[in-house]
Amino acid sequence: MITGKQLVSAAIWLPAAAALLCYLWRSYKGRNLVVWASGVVLAACSIGLYLTGPFNYQPGEIAGLSWNTVISTADFALLALILLIGIKRRHILIIMLALFQAALLIYFDAVLGGGELEPGPAFVIDHLSIIMALVINIVGSLICIYGVKYIGEHEDQHSGQTSATSWLSSHSGSRQPRFMFWLVIFLGAMNGLVFADNLYWMYFFWEVTTFCSFQLIGHDLSEEAIANACRALWINSLGGTAFALALVVLVRYGGGDYLSIQYLLIHGAGPGMTMIMLATALLVLAGMTKSAQLPFQSWLLGAMVAPTPVSALLHSSTMVKAGVYLILRLAPVYIGTYLSDIIAIAGGFTFLVTSILAVSQSNAKRVLAYSTIANLGLIIACAGINTPAAISAAIILIIFHAVSKGLLFLCTGFVEHRIGSRNIEDMEGLADRMPLTTIIFTVGIISMFLPPFGMLVGKWAALEAAAHLPLAALFMVMGSAVTALFWIKWLGRMLEGNPGEVQSGLEPMAINYKASLIGLAAGAVLLGILVIPLIRSLVMPAVSQYYSSPGLNTAAQSIVIGNSGLFAVWPWFVLLLIIMVSARLLYDPKKTKSAPVYLCGENSSSTSYTSTGEQSIQPALSSYYFDGFLGEARWTPTVNSLAVLIIMVLLGVTVL
Amino acid sequence: MNELLIASLVIMAAPFLGGLLSGLDRVISARMQGRVGPPVLQPFYDVLKLLGKESLAANRRQVTWVLAYLGLIMASLVLFSLGGDLLIIVFTMAFAAIAFVLGGFSVKSPYSHIGSQRELLQMLAYEPVLILLAVGLYLQNGSFLVRDLINQGQPLLTSLPLVFIALLIILTIKMRKSPFDLSTSHHGHQELVKGITTEYSGPALALIEITHWYELVLVLGLVAMFWTSPWWIGIILAFLAFFLELIIDNCCARLTWNYMLKFTWGSGLALCLINLGWILARGKGGF
Amino acid sequence: MGMMKKSRIKSPWLLHYDGSSCNGCDIEVLACLTPVYDVERFGIINTGNPKHADILLITGGVNQRAARVVRNLYEQMPHPKVVVAVGACACSGGIFHDCYNMLGGIDKVIPVDVYVPGCAARPEAIIDGVVQALGLLAEKTNKEAAV
Repeated sequence: MITGKQLVSAAIWLPAAAALLCYLWRSYKGRNLVVWASGVVLAACSIGLYLTGPFNYQPGEIAGLSWNTVISTADFALLALILLIGIKRRHILIIMLALFQAALLIYFDAVLGGGELEPGPAFVIDHLSIIMALVINIVGSLICIYGVKYIGEHEDQHSGQTSATSWLSSHSGSRQPRFMFWLVIFLGAMNGLVFADNLYWMYFFWEVTTFCSFQLIGHDLSEEAIANACRALWINSLGGTAFALALVVLVRYGGGDYLSIQYLLIHGAGPGMTMIMLATALLVLAGMTKSAQLPFQSWLLGAMVAPTPVSALLHSSTMVKAGVYLILRLAPVYIGTYLSDIIAIAGGFTFLVTSILAVSQSNAKRVLAYSTIANLGLIIACAGINTPAAISAAIILIIFHAVSKGLLFLCTGFVEHRIGSRNIEDMEGLADRMPLTTIIFTVGIISMFLPPFGMLVGKWAALEAAAHLPLAALFMVMGSAVTALFWIKWLGRMLEGNPGEVQSGLEPMAINYKASLIGLAAGAVLLGILVIPLIRSLVMPAVSQYYSSPGLNTAAQSIVIGNSGLFAVWPWFVLLLIIMVSARLLYDPKKTKSAPVYLCGENSSSTSYTSTGEQSIQPALSSYYFDGFLGEARWTPTVNSLAVLIIMVLLGVTVL
Repeated sequence: MNELLIASLVIMAAPFLGGLLSGLDRVISARMQGRVGPPVLQPFYDVLKLLGKESLAANRRQVTWVLAYLGLIMASLVLFSLGGDLLIIVFTMAFAAIAFVLGGFSVKSPYSHIGSQRELLQMLAYEPVLILLAVGLYLQNGSFLVRDLINQGQPLLTSLPLVFIALLIILTIKMRKSPFDLSTSHHGHQELVKGITTEYSGPALALIEITHWYELVLVLGLVAMFWTSPWWIGIILAFLAFFLELIIDNCCARLTWNYMLKFTWGSGLALCLINLGWILARGKGGF
Repeated sequence: MGMMKKSRIKSPWLLHYDGSSCNGCDIEVLACLTPVYDVERFGIINTGNPKHADILLITGGVNQRAARVVRNLYEQMPHPKVVVAVGACACSGGIFHDCYNMLGGIDKVIPVDVYVPGCAARPEAIIDGVVQALGLLAEKTNKEAAV
């Protein structure tokens, strides 16, 4: 019988082992096999954890050393590496932040003795961790399976650029093993992060994810890639510094017990806990940097220079989810405080602003990036609203967003390799060129914002908020209207067709792509259909463990499942099915005539017209982007300064 | 069983009511312009004729989206008449509008594309107000259910007067009337031909027209919701709103989307927010 | 089918195309929409879109260029459909019939159902022509073969 403890160890160590194997086994077939096998095992592990249920776990010793010592040493080693990178790139911010973090850690270890503290079991696996583990291991593994194939194609297409060597892998030749190494090990770090209860341990995993993302963003070694990787590193180091500072404050002013999240949740809330609240605010700040909230969004936008699986991984199941996970995890600590309200407003603000900025973008990955930031903002806003229903909404959003966003990035990557562009305008008429991909893409886009999928959830939360925070509610209501705008524009481009053109058969797709794309698309649809059982079996337990007062719990139940919030989903799917079947019955492409598009009379073909110069002219269609009106360059400085202001208020309210 | 009866009754009766209303619309508009105008049954003749015409379609997607538009609007009307969750009704209406937009996008035609883009902007303009209407309902009644409202003695208009005005503003968009009939012009010879419906003809166009009838009944139902007891005041309210929209339609020229967005987000949202803030403040004062 | 035929007669949607007219007839066509004549009484709508139209109403004769447009517009209209040629030029080429670039009347390009003479045709004559066309429209079916 496999115990939960073994599952936890496997979830952390297996990716590390698989990563090493990927790195050492220098054939595609070998790597592919390793990634598939580890993916299946990891997914099984997470399901096993779900079946096992919550438990605590304190690992023993390793070779006579306590794990705390190992983690401390590893922390310093990691900081040294980051420092080296900073020196090599002559990046003053990275150097300073690394030194500052090191100083904090030395103080923490040497003066406060924090490194040796054992405030409780190092790992506490509760319902929230289990949900995160399911997301990380299932979605993440599918992305890795996609990635192993993708990076091969990517290297073929960019072979010229990769000939330069890096100091980390100075050998010449393929950089695919290195890529897969960082991609797979990321999952292990994320697993550790969500299982850890000791904040000091969590900090270690936190730093590992920062470092992994640096390596992955800079993978292509182009000038832009390196610059953006450095930016990601320093912004996340800022978050790391806030995290380290929070550790110091917690132990210095609260005591060693406060290092345990469980202890913090129970004893942290309440009046007279100023320093604990400050530490919480710092942790929230760390979460915001990791989740690329305004004004830290630039690192995630820059991260899209990386090969697409990296974006998919960073945006869906790992990295940015670590930030919202931490903020959500700490929600019971700041419940009922001004801090909570400010978090809600900060999240709502990010949601609205980044949704609006997404409208002006035509680069598919950039739209996706802004939409990720917006959705994370929504999750954070829900955490800030801090009612059982809002927390349920946040958890549901995490799950749905991971699946849909992973799917959308993978689709974009696949299309980019086929049509050579990631511009939405170039995806015009994709439905007739790549029908299968378009269907999957459509599922992804629809699941991002349409009922019965994600949009609904955000809106409930808005209404929850309305009860006490009209400003946050307004942000959400406006933001969700804007969200629909950019998704539909995109969908419209892809679903466009010429009159009378009958699509040929489905396009071929490699098995790795098929598995990940169809797997995630099916997942999105299934989650949509099964959303109520999902809430009952996964989300409600996670919420009720922190909002234990029975009154709250029933309120949440009635809002989430009762008739005032969610609704029976299946009739909607039945209706969609009826519509599709009747369209099939009513429209026969062989019998129905198709007239050329109306172009004021003088068509030269079904979609072109004859000009006065007797030439056939194809009208060019494009979406509205409102660039001059909503352009990034115009608004970013303003919204960033507003966001800085909000962050300052966020830290300020805890002290006042 | 009772619910099924109501649902099928609504599905069958609504198009007749909607068709009559739009016939009335044409007659009244004509009278306002000093003309005699068509017979009241004109919309039914139009739709029957269109149903009998040859069907032209660019591709299957185009047909699918029309059916989705119709099906979803029907679903939201049924939900509304059964006293369902107003939030879900608003979402379903949004989904329906999206289907309509995608129908316009599904052919590579400049006119229907411009129509679709503008329809999207129209959605952007009215969607927040509709959701805030649902929020207002929730704050007032503690439930999103329309049916709870009917049992409530106090008319909604007394607590949400400003939201009502905001609803009247977006009613112009929803009824596709000037100055905000941006996506499909109702008069020929304009810059976007027939906007989003340019590429539809025959039976598909008839379905769109029928969907508009359902939609008309639904939005007027939303207006009537503001005074449910006695119910006939609500009906009168809906008719007055309808008439007001006709007057606005006949004395306004079409405006650009910038103006529409500024106007609805500026005044509409501000009205809603003031109203909601007022309810909150009053609620807090009451305790 | 009685109801369907009746609806067809009561709901004629027009597409007005100016072939190479001197605009005299066009102005008379537009005059039909004004309160004085108010053709909406008959359910007539000036659509501006061949895909929505039942009646193609053409003023002016066809020249080399306009011929392609006329044919294309006609083909874009769904069946059943009728063509009304309004004015002397549309009927026969009128005073332009000898021009180097003229083909002649509309019937040189597409089948015309009703000819409305006049230079310019009076609104009453145009309305009469359209009403006569409606009789033909009711008898046509949507299966009818194109030209």
